[in-house]
Amino acid sequence: MKKYLFLMITLLLSFQLFAHGPTPQKVQESVVINAPADKVWTMVKDFCNIHNWHPAVEKTTCEKKGEDTFRTLVLKSGETVYEKLRGVDDDLMKLKFEIVKSPNPFTDFNSYLIVTKGSTDNESTVQWTARFYRLYKLNPPIPEGQDDATAKAAAQAIVDSGLKGLKKTLEAN
Amino acid sequence: MYKFFIAIVIFALGAFLTMNSPANKAFITNQGEDTVSIINLDTFQVEKRIKVGKKPLGITILKNKSIALVGNVESQDLSVIDLKKNVVIKTLALKATPLGLTHNKDETEIYVTDWFNSQIFVINSMNFEIIKKIPVGKTPSGIAFNEKYSFIVISNRDSNSVEIYTEKEMRLEKKIMVGKHPYGISSEGDYIYTANVYDDSITVINLTNWQTKEIKVGDHPYNVIKINDQLFVTNSLDDNISIIDTKTFTEILKIPTGETPENLWVDKKNNRLVISNWGSDSISIINLHDMKNIKEVKSGLQSRAFGDFILN
Repeated sequence: MKKYLFLMITLLLSFQLFAHGPTPQKVQESVVINAPADKVWTMVKDFCNIHNWHPAVEKTTCEKKGEDTFRTLVLKSGETVYEKLRGVDDDLMKLKFEIVKSPNPFTDFNSYLIVTKGSTDNESTVQWTARFYRLYKLNPPIPEGQDDATAKAAAQAIVDSGLKGLKKTLEAN
Repeated sequence: MYKFFIAIVIFALGAFLTMNSPANKAFITNQGEDTVSIINLDTFQVEKRIKVGKKPLGITILKNKSIALVGNVESQDLSVIDLKKNVVIKTLALKATPLGLTHNKDETEIYVTDWFNSQIFVINSMNFEIIKKIPVGKTPSGIAFNEKYSFIVISNRDSNSVEIYTEKEMRLEKKIMVGKHPYGISSEGDYIYTANVYDDSITVINLTNWQTKEIKVGDHPYNVIKINDQLFVTNSLDDNISIIDTKTFTEILKIPTGETPENLWVDKKNNRLVISNWGSDSISIINLHDMKNIKEVKSGLQSRAFGDFILN
């Protein structure tokens, strides 16, 4: 009986996979990297090799579905994250993607990274911006772990650790 | 002595005219700081920031009644702003999450979409009492009033539909399926326009024959409005707007905006388009003569302004 109930709830929740509440949240951070912009962009735009620089990612597997590119990230924690590539702009040095499915406490996570040239040839800036919503979609009271603060903390951690890892990897070479 | 007297009169007249010059202001709801910014569209100055309820989103302006209503999604109430004094004169507790707001032509009624309870509130604009609640489709979001037919039109986000209600009886006239996750909606003359956020498209509905047309635009379009012979669409995740020619219903141009543009309205006095940019906490002002960006004004944290936000 319990197993059946669990399945029912999972099914119910999965239909709301792409619904969200009325208040989007934002995380936006930048890092200065001592490496030329085109070298940084080459690494950032490589959608299928994020494990090369993001410390939380163990392995990346890409697949194409029609015109679209998706990637499955296997995290060092063992969990998986499924993401869709939404745009690669070489002129703007901008990579856009969305999280389709993940164990994170947020939904509708859309994100982009922009590389810009720094003040010298060996310097560039990477800015990572994410927009997302808390897990809980209905009227308050909001259950613990499904609120804005939890969503924001999780997104912040992904962005902060990612930018740190990107800087470390690029400056090491 | 006489010249001095004339100068004083001219000065006084000038001062008088400036103080009473017709308002040309944008009222921008800043969801990240719980305020509404009043921005003078002639001088680009932020004249005042009014504290409203928690997480304000939607707005509608009743010009003749000199009030504006703002929906606060987290405190679940409406703030009534007196547009002469620019202060909140009343807060209406709803016990519901208000999304979109609009009003009828004679400004006697205000309509508010109740996001989670799938209904519309009909509110008396004189005493602010809730006249009735009408059950509608799932998660009703955008709402607009069509003056030609006296229709209230809504987009039901999670049922992918647009519903059309008559003003007099609030009777469901028609339900039309559109694209995925319709959000912003507008209507004038014989048409309804809605943005299908997850389909990267807009739907045009013809009110004379109920036929629909879908037009591809950019990434995550949030709203669409018609100005003269063109449609303007905010592509929220592309940081630009699409311009569509209504004679051919094809996209003809894209104009860059600030980050995450969401809503847009026309400054009729100056013939400009004003866009709220959630991501850059600003508004973009575009000259409609040449489609060039004139100015970006910092308006407040997470500016959204979902509704008719300009007082001309």
